[in-house]
Amino acid sequence: MKPFMKIMAPALLGSTLLFQPAYAETPPNMLVVGFSMNNILTLDPAAITGKETVQVLTNIYDNLVALDAVNRAQVDPQLAESWTIAEDNGSITFKLRKGAAFASGNPVTSADVVWSFKRLMKLNLAQASFLKTHGFSAANADQSFTAPDDNTVVIKLPKKVDPQIIVQTLGIVGPGSILDMKTVMANDKNGDMGTAWLTNNSAGSGPFTLGQWQSNERVTLEQNPKYWGEKPAMRRIMMRHLAESQSQRLMLEKGDIDIAYSMSAADLKALENNKDVRIQTNGGSGFYYLAVSMKDEKYQKPKVREALRYLIDYQGLNDSVLPYFGKLRDRPVPAGIFGALPNAGYKLDVAKARALLAEAGYPNGFSTTLRAISDVPFMSLATAIQATLAQAGIKAEIITGSGDQIYGAMRERKYELLVGRGGGGQLPHPDSNFRAIVYNPNNADEAKLTNFQGWRTSFYDEKINKMIDDALVEGNKDKQIKDYEAIQTYYADMMPSIQPFSEVVDSVGFRADIKGLELNPSWSTQLRTVKKER
Amino acid sequence: MTNERLTAFTRQAGTILATLIGLLILTFCIGRLMPVDPVRAIVGEEADQATYDMVAERIGANLPLWQQFFRYVNDLAHGDFGTSIRTGQPVINDILHVMPATIELATFAIIFGAGLGIPLGILAAVRRNRPIDHAIRFVTLIGHSMPIFWTGMIGLIVFYAMLDLVGGGGRLSDYYIGLVPEATGFLLIDSLLAGDMEVFRDAVNHLLLPASILGYSSLAYITRMTRSFMLDQLNQEYITTARVKGLSKNRTIWHHAFANIRVQLVTIVALAYGTLLEGAVLIETVFSWPGFGQYITNNMLIGDMNAVMTCVLLVGIIFIALNLLSDALYKIFDPRTR
Repeated sequence: MKPFMKIMAPALLGSTLLFQPAYAETPPNMLVVGFSMNNILTLDPAAITGKETVQVLTNIYDNLVALDAVNRAQVDPQLAESWTIAEDNGSITFKLRKGAAFASGNPVTSADVVWSFKRLMKLNLAQASFLKTHGFSAANADQSFTAPDDNTVVIKLPKKVDPQIIVQTLGIVGPGSILDMKTVMANDKNGDMGTAWLTNNSAGSGPFTLGQWQSNERVTLEQNPKYWGEKPAMRRIMMRHLAESQSQRLMLEKGDIDIAYSMSAADLKALENNKDVRIQTNGGSGFYYLAVSMKDEKYQKPKVREALRYLIDYQGLNDSVLPYFGKLRDRPVPAGIFGALPNAGYKLDVAKARALLAEAGYPNGFSTTLRAISDVPFMSLATAIQATLAQAGIKAEIITGSGDQIYGAMRERKYELLVGRGGGGQLPHPDSNFRAIVYNPNNADEAKLTNFQGWRTSFYDEKINKMIDDALVEGNKDKQIKDYEAIQTYYADMMPSIQPFSEVVDSVGFRADIKGLELNPSWSTQLRTVKKER
Repeated sequence: MTNERLTAFTRQAGTILATLIGLLILTFCIGRLMPVDPVRAIVGEEADQATYDMVAERIGANLPLWQQFFRYVNDLAHGDFGTSIRTGQPVINDILHVMPATIELATFAIIFGAGLGIPLGILAAVRRNRPIDHAIRFVTLIGHSMPIFWTGMIGLIVFYAMLDLVGGGGRLSDYYIGLVPEATGFLLIDSLLAGDMEVFRDAVNHLLLPASILGYSSLAYITRMTRSFMLDQLNQEYITTARVKGLSKNRTIWHHAFANIRVQLVTIVALAYGTLLEGAVLIETVFSWPGFGQYITNNMLIGDMNAVMTCVLLVGIIFIALNLLSDALYKIFDPRTR
């Protein structure tokens, strides 16, 4: 067998040398982004769900307006160069910029804008919920969205709300994305308004067009030669499906990808001292929280809920489990959003929690279950909370499972405690947080208001519902801010069913030669501003 | 065809059909028992009940399970494999896209695994209980017991990140993606057809590491089985007789002992190849390899039953075909079975 080894060893070595990679870095005019694309099921803006698809489509579709990446209170013009709100707050009039065209060459007209919104409401898919919340529907879409002329769009609000939240909603990728009506309708199939075609085709006016989407493989974006704005520095963006954080890290270190969107905290930490890599963290959306079910007798007692508030190690969780992905926040409105109060400053206080439990009739604690998704960081969060609960005698059995299992139990209102993530936040408006976390217009089981986490926790408080509704229609900005502050104070006092302990932030790693990357807290990070300085 | 042959053929066809139908029923039941909700995957966490109900009706998820199953089987009987929830494409198109990537990977892996595993197994048997035997058994034990996910990651760190000998994740480097037209889906073939040797080199470079690691795990199995088969033969009296009669050691091993284990080897190599075709999901995940294993797993995780059922059907057909192939090879290698 010696001759065998004599042949095989050089053959193996020779083959690796012969086929060695020719290039050690990405092409200068092509940006390579790595992240997990497991959640991308379609590229139709009306039907998308989740952050990853927004990260792709924000580079393909324009909206009337854009949510500013740095100043969350600011809304920037995009296809609309200006907008005015009627004095009675009943309508918004947008003036479109002239000269904007879709990738097909068709001009962007008010007819396209109006059709895009009507399509969203008529299809009634995932993204329609953003506008349905404010009274828009397929039935009133024809009256709500009109185009008096080629450059003007008028949106009549079906119910009284803060027009600012509608303007902000139109800045979100999905509900606000403007489509090329002619191109899409040319691909209509059995009246689907182009849904099947848009699954893996695009019809936008953004800086890039969709070159190719291979599910769980890659998305290729090509520069849109018809783009009305400043020409992007990159000719092509290659988004690669890299499900594993460590693969992203290795490829980023080697320079085979320029940006890694979905690395774990451990890998981000390992890159902290790499001089070729930078890490950027920005505000994200939503919260990490501990939720109780008000269906459970124990948690119907405010003293028990208050005790739980003091059995969370806020600082410890944020320092040890959530670096890069969470920032300490114990209020239901993210820091930096108008009306947000400073943190209440809750701390782990076992003695106080024990006293509260004793007052509630549980001097020796009780047994309960704690559900968490079997994934990072939820398992670590659940384990840490289990330990602090135990200090007050609460024996929490952790139940883990997939997202469907854990949030499914929450949607069915069949759980006791749950560590979760959510609570609005893509919109920089406190209403979106309150509506997601505590608002519950109908607490009946049959109502099945599963999109409201307030309903999922079976928490119902008429007063806070009214406060949220009133604040949204308050025309005086200063008064509105005061109203939102008052809601946060009331929320804290009434011992809610959801106690946030961290606000979600995003962190990405990128090569040091990448300039102009600005993470957008609303997930719509624009890559047209990115260039390479080599 | 004689009556006997016709009966045998009918019986075999009936067995195959029954196996495939059983496989479909079992997969459907398991898929529906799994706590995944395809409708929720489509509409997202924030959708209201009206949207949920509308999509459930559209994809037929609101129908009783038996109706969903018979609807699928009915479509199947009409040659319609359905549309995937994940990609929005006909499942058959998806499979035609992902299968070449996996076949390329598995074929290289089995060449590596069997090409090294069989000689090593023979060597270990011939040098039984000597240091070389222990060394081979130790190496194969590692290959058998180490999680392939971990081996893959270590392989990437050492050979890609540290030594820079092979490519990283994916089938090609960024520079070469989309350069050659997709004629067959097999990158090695497509690059050769296009006459683009740089793409060919890059594709081989990306294939080497995942295929070797995948091959290593099958090598472990093949080596151990070969050793066992060979030991069995070497202990037979005809081997002693051959040696006593003056036949050289090499001739005894290769012409007599090895000739007698070829039939068994064909079976284990064929089955190992089948396993590699459908079970490479972990290595595909680590190496971001867009293959069949990842496709079936990701679709299973969102309850995309059209895709899962078609994939399972295909896996069943592959295994049946491999069994038939090994039966045919039996007849070539072992005249007694003719």
